[in-house]
Amino acid sequence: MARTKGYPEALEKKLNDQRYYSEDSNPEFTKNVKAISRTIAHMCFQCGTCTGSCPSAPRSSYRIRLFMRRAVLGLENEALTDPDLWLCTTCYSCTDRCPRDIAPTDVIMAMRNLAFKRDIIPVNFLKTVQAIYKTGHGVPNNDVNRAARERLGLTRDPPTTHMYPEYIKGIQTILDHYKLKANADRIVKEREG
Amino acid sequence: MAEKKKTTTKKTETRKQEAPAKQDVKKQVPAAKGAAAPVKTGPSEKPRIGVFICHCGTNIAGSIDIKEVEAYAKTIPNVAHVDNYQYICSTPGQNKIITAIKEHKLTGTVVAACSPRLHEPTFRRATKVGGLNQFRFEMANIREQNAWVHMHDPEGATSKAKDTIRIAVAKAALLQDLTPKTVPVERAAMVVGAGIAGMQAALDLANAGIKTYLIESMPSIGGRMSQLDKTFPTLDCSQCILTPKMVDVGRAENIELMTYSEVDAVEGYIGNFDVTIRKKARGVLSMAEAEAKGISGGGCNGCGDCEAPCPVIKPNEFEVGMKPRKAIYINHPQVVPLLYTIDFDSCIKCGLCVTACGEKKAIDLEAKDEFVKVKVGTAILATGFDMFPVEKKTEWGYKKFENVITSLEFERLICASGPTGGYPIRPSDGERPKTVAFVLCAGSRDNTGNGKPYCSRFCCMYSLKHAHQIIEKIPGCTPIIFYMDIRSFGKMYEEFYYRIQDEGAKFIRGRVANILEDPKTKNLHVFADDTLLNRPVDMEVDLVVLAAAVQPMEDTERTRKLFGVSCTGDGWLQEAHPKLNPCGTTTAGVFLAGVCQGPKDIPDTVASAEGAASAASIPIHMGEVELEPYFATCIEERCAGCGMCVNLCPFTALALVEKDGRTVMEVTEAKCKGCGTCGGFCPGGAIWMNHFATPQIVAQIDAFLLGGEQ
Repeated sequence: MARTKGYPEALEKKLNDQRYYSEDSNPEFTKNVKAISRTIAHMCFQCGTCTGSCPSAPRSSYRIRLFMRRAVLGLENEALTDPDLWLCTTCYSCTDRCPRDIAPTDVIMAMRNLAFKRDIIPVNFLKTVQAIYKTGHGVPNNDVNRAARERLGLTRDPPTTHMYPEYIKGIQTILDHYKLKANADRIVKEREG
Repeated sequence: MAEKKKTTTKKTETRKQEAPAKQDVKKQVPAAKGAAAPVKTGPSEKPRIGVFICHCGTNIAGSIDIKEVEAYAKTIPNVAHVDNYQYICSTPGQNKIITAIKEHKLTGTVVAACSPRLHEPTFRRATKVGGLNQFRFEMANIREQNAWVHMHDPEGATSKAKDTIRIAVAKAALLQDLTPKTVPVERAAMVVGAGIAGMQAALDLANAGIKTYLIESMPSIGGRMSQLDKTFPTLDCSQCILTPKMVDVGRAENIELMTYSEVDAVEGYIGNFDVTIRKKARGVLSMAEAEAKGISGGGCNGCGDCEAPCPVIKPNEFEVGMKPRKAIYINHPQVVPLLYTIDFDSCIKCGLCVTACGEKKAIDLEAKDEFVKVKVGTAILATGFDMFPVEKKTEWGYKKFENVITSLEFERLICASGPTGGYPIRPSDGERPKTVAFVLCAGSRDNTGNGKPYCSRFCCMYSLKHAHQIIEKIPGCTPIIFYMDIRSFGKMYEEFYYRIQDEGAKFIRGRVANILEDPKTKNLHVFADDTLLNRPVDMEVDLVVLAAAVQPMEDTERTRKLFGVSCTGDGWLQEAHPKLNPCGTTTAGVFLAGVCQGPKDIPDTVASAEGAASAASIPIHMGEVELEPYFATCIEERCAGCGMCVNLCPFTALALVEKDGRTVMEVTEAKCKGCGTCGGFCPGGAIWMNHFATPQIVAQIDAFLLGGEQ
């Protein structure tokens, strides 16, 4: 630390110990990811077909292959605290092509589940929860869409909870059962006051 | 723990109590057998069995309590002697068996050790040296089927070992003297497939003085190797090293070459296989055949006069469809035998070739398939491989994008005798490619079900060779090799890898995710993850070569069934033992050579072929073979002559005959494999299966049920 005194924080971070140690590896993490994702997450041989297929990789720092590696090695903290975890678009291209027949997308979803248990989640995901709770839609209808639908000869609102708001209650019951809304509200409040 | 131990003691007690009951059953069984068995040297004396328990180092002793098992074995009825040793298969271990037989006047031996597949012959020999008939031995497998699978349950494993030994003793007490049968071996061999494996095997057999029938389904010999331009890592010209062998095969006196022929039916057993060969209608007479038909000086001399007037044009399979051929054709100028073939599926029988052939009268447009029967002592299968249809992996665009080709197509494009004279071009515009991507593991190491789970073993090396060739032929051209691992395991292979990298090939460690075509330029964009740089790659190249996986030839399945050879889940033929008997099969007298057993490069293929030839020549040189005496026998006084067994027998070993005015079944012992189908079915109990007789099996079941916990 003393060596980097006076240097910008970024450099100090670069000069940190980069090794991982045996105690960083949690075999239970590999097991949990397998159980939740229901795919053979420990079988990745790092060919890179997933990252090569990923539409997110060329335009972000998201590397699905790295998360697969962390799943194999049980690097729990590294996987769950990496903000890249939330950059997967769940297009399933990697799952389509993986030669080991693993579903990397489902591994990511499992890790997101485990992260959420530790309150690690970007606020925009929580706002989606709130939107679903309120309207039954992650992306609710708006006036631009309504006008477009009308031009196409469709009803202004689709035949979903938008048209039948009485069913929103059912969705809310489900979200409440898992305390998803309550947790979302709590975390958003903690972060945004 | 204390409670558990109690239970074990209790178990032993229960067994002791039940022991007399079990003995009663035993006493009954030999009596029943006495009536049923044909006149045999049955054990009239009271059985005295010796039990030998092997530690196999810690393989068995690590999970099974040898002392406890030994103490228990002493309580088993009919057991006269029990011993244990570190390694019973060692010389001192075997000596224990030999001396115990004499000292304790044993009538049978039981060794509790590994699988009979490993050491049954060893202990049979020891039993024989000790003065007993070798078939008075029974093996109890307490390693593979016990110690290894129950490694983490020593108590259960020990208890199971007791059961296994008790069951083996029950059978050993009823075993009889048997004499192996010897049959003469026909002094001829057959090799199916005349690629490099089949040719090498046939040449070795022929040079060892054995008449060899070499059967090839294609019109000419040489197989896949004749399609290759160069061979790694020495860069020998493939044709140059192959053609001398092809010529040798064509000239060898002991080899009877049958091209454009297939095995149609196989009957018999080791030493005496009767094989029917279908000679497909070729429509062209060889000079010998013409001579035999009385056309003196006639027959095909390979002049090619017939080819020019033929109006039918078809893709040439040898050139992977990249060159035309006529309906009457040879694949390439160096074919052996130099003999034209008519493709009757496309021939329109216009007769122009007949006119062109003229006085040689070699062409017969009305030719039909012919069947030839030969008798051989042993056979070698060398049916080779085909390419995996890599268009099934749609993400790489083979057969969709013109400039995506397979490695076999690349071989022909870089080969001096190929369709472009060895001048590699892009199929879309005939231009010279400046950057070429090689995609490794194209369908190999793929567990999706749409691909092959195994490593095809030679793609890494030939792709390195391709990289070298393209650098050599097109100055300034950069080969880019997309790989997961470079498997350069052979002699001088890693050095070759070093050399190719030094020559300028670029290696990107990442499996290709997908390939897209630029519709204007027909260039290709190869997408992958450079896993070493941790960045996605979009590489624009002129040509993509897919190192497609290999799979067994389509006809392998039919051929293997004819010879009764098993295969693994992916269709490769199964060897008798992957390490210790790689050329043999579970069918005695049938051997495997080359890639039909699994992917191999040329050195491994030739080595395997020489191994198979050596193995196949042994029975022939010995002149006779011993057959296991496990055949069925008919107890004639019980046989009603119903003949149901005759139809059930999968080996056509049974027949009905007249004997003393009665119809009874008779077994051809050499054909019988001892499968037991007839014995299990016979409604009158008239069939006695040697070494697996009903009383012996019933005694084993009784020993299990009455001796164990109920």
